Amino acid sequence: MENHQIEEQAAPAKIQEKRVISIIWIVPLVALAIGGWLAFKAIHEKGPTITITFVNAEGLEAGKTKIRYRNVTVGQVEKISLTKDLSKVKVTAKLVRGIEHYLTDKTKFWVVRARVRGGSVSGLNTILSGAYIGIDPSEVGSPTTVFAGLEAPPVVTLGQPGRHFALIADTLGSLDIGAPIYYRQIQVGQVVGYGFGKDGKDVNIQIFIDAPYDRQVTNNTRFWNASGIDVNLNAQGLKVNTQSLVSIISGGVAFELPKDMLPGKAAKDGATFHLYPDHASVQEKEYTIRKRWLLLFNRSVKGLTVGAPVELYGIRVGKVTDLNLEYDDSAKHFLVPVLVTIEPERVRIVNSTDTGAVQHDKSNELLKQMVENKGLRAQLQSDNLLTGQMMINLAFFPDSPKMKLSYMDKYPVVPTVSGSFEQLQQNLGKIIEDLKKVPFSKIGYDLHSVLAEAQKTLKNFNKLTGEINNNIAPQAYRTLAELQKTLMDLQRIIGQDSSLSYNAGKSLDELTRTLEAVRELVDTINNRPQSLIFGKEGQAHE
Amino acid sequence: MNHRFLTARNADLIGCHQCFFPAPKTHIACTYRCPRCGARLHQRKYKSISRTWALVCAAVIFYIPANVLPITYTSSIGTQQSDTIISGVIYFFQTGSWGVAAVIFIASIFIPFAKLLILIFLLTSIQFHSVWHPKDRTRLYRLIESVGRWSMVDIFVVTTLVALVRLGAVATIQAGPAAVYFAAVVVITMLASKSFDPRLIWDVIEEDE
Repeated sequence: MENHQIEEQAAPAKIQEKRVISIIWIVPLVALAIGGWLAFKAIHEKGPTITITFVNAEGLEAGKTKIRYRNVTVGQVEKISLTKDLSKVKVTAKLVRGIEHYLTDKTKFWVVRARVRGGSVSGLNTILSGAYIGIDPSEVGSPTTVFAGLEAPPVVTLGQPGRHFALIADTLGSLDIGAPIYYRQIQVGQVVGYGFGKDGKDVNIQIFIDAPYDRQVTNNTRFWNASGIDVNLNAQGLKVNTQSLVSIISGGVAFELPKDMLPGKAAKDGATFHLYPDHASVQEKEYTIRKRWLLLFNRSVKGLTVGAPVELYGIRVGKVTDLNLEYDDSAKHFLVPVLVTIEPERVRIVNSTDTGAVQHDKSNELLKQMVENKGLRAQLQSDNLLTGQMMINLAFFPDSPKMKLSYMDKYPVVPTVSGSFEQLQQNLGKIIEDLKKVPFSKIGYDLHSVLAEAQKTLKNFNKLTGEINNNIAPQAYRTLAELQKTLMDLQRIIGQDSSLSYNAGKSLDELTRTLEAVRELVDTINNRPQSLIFGKEGQAHE
Repeated sequence: MNHRFLTARNADLIGCHQCFFPAPKTHIACTYRCPRCGARLHQRKYKSISRTWALVCAAVIFYIPANVLPITYTSSIGTQQSDTIISGVIYFFQTGSWGVAAVIFIASIFIPFAKLLILIFLLTSIQFHSVWHPKDRTRLYRLIESVGRWSMVDIFVVTTLVALVRLGAVATIQAGPAAVYFAAVVVITMLASKSFDPRLIWDVIEEDE
């Protein structure tokens, strides 16, 4: 009964229970809400998963290595594995939401590690923090999630203002990616990349010029390789030219506008330029017309190099482009064909009715005329006596034997004459040859006997002198002493205090007085001749 | 065998949860309060099953972020690193600190997980009126009751590290969001095991008999 009673009393409590149950279930509901919110957030924030391939995974760690853009973490490496053929490393990374618009085939990934390169050290902070993956996002291009990672960081990122240009060069020289580009010795850009040209015959160098310097690049701008030190030894002396210390180590490119040129239009992005080998070639005028002549030398061309100048009247008109040694089997002799490039535009034409005469098809006719009638000849000449460099001199020799203009391998062959230096050499040789004919030994022998004879004569002369000294000299001395005595006596006799002179003086006085008396007498006789008879009347009158 | 053991219920007594005074049912019929201390009286723990279920569910939900999210952010000399509980265990295991790895694994992963499983098992066994090894099931309950608090070790370690390792740029440790969820799991499972009434295991058997 009691049991029943309690159960009855417990019954209303059960009703109460149902209401209270819902309250305790709030706890899991709250947990569910939080968990759901976390899950939603995780799914909502989940970004794309991408795969990047690298050559090696040095410094990369799954779950730790971050992907950063402008030092903001935009992702994390989840997994590192090898590709099936073990040739590369496949890095799977999770990126943050929102970056998927920037994942295109133009997007670049690279590993940022500490690097020392040419003039710069980068990524030093990664020594402590470990490497991270850099990203250069790109909106243009087709979206993708598989990327090939770069081995080196790109020099120029997409957002950087400036312009890309291409340079065509024969060789790369000491240029490298990141090599500086100078304008008036201020760094304004960098070499971004390089590769072979389409046919593999030249090198295509991609460069990037930062804004606002990119405006300095115009259609007439000339680029030259400013790598290393440019040492020039010539008649003006030693000249050392360099852009900066960095360019000595890592190479560099410089550009400028040639002095006599107008800037022209600003170059378009991606424009192509020729890369000149040095600054001097930039300053040279660009000549588009080039004529090739062949010079055949049958002498040594030692000192002549490719690039040596060809001068006419001392003015440069071209350069040597090729040197060879040929053996003429039929004529059994050696020949040195020297190919020269003549730039006719270097010659200004005046008083001409046909301006194209020199520059175009008629030039060969003109050359023929010059060679056959005017005696145009080429000769080797010393360019620099110090270094022994040679050059080609073109000159007119009207008196030289007439020659016809011939052709060889389509090139007109300009006859050669031996150069002035060569002639000098030949003359010198001749003199030496003549000198050799002189019988120096015989002359020497004769000279020797002559000398012996002379010695004998001298000895005799010596003997004679001795005799004079011993016999004649004392006698002469005595004679001289006596002569001196005589002279002294003579002086005493006729001296001022001598009686002779006194007497002589007195006699002279006497004589003077006598003469005065005579003159007086003569005067008197002149005035009064009668006095001679009558005596001196005047005296009486007086 | 109807009354194999004399229980309070059989004796029409209700044990007070506060002062453990066995109050006779007849006495408390109107008030439901302990005649000695005045606490509310319940024959069994109040809504034990549903409460425990609710708390177990909450704990299960929190158990996921507690293990998925990072529990610590470590930054030392430029290196930023976030660790979950598992990655911490793996780290200690790989660096040779097997003891530490074992302690963290047992205290932070195994015990909470085992606790939840055992609670779920006990709840379902009661709801399905299971008579299977009631002694063992009680023993399991004793185990989770006694060992549950040790899961807090991880939280203590994290809080201690956060407080101690504050060397600026050299090394800094910060607590991650998982610490909160993990603490919630530990607390909720402790509450769940508290709200569970092991007498229910035996009640089923007695009712069946």
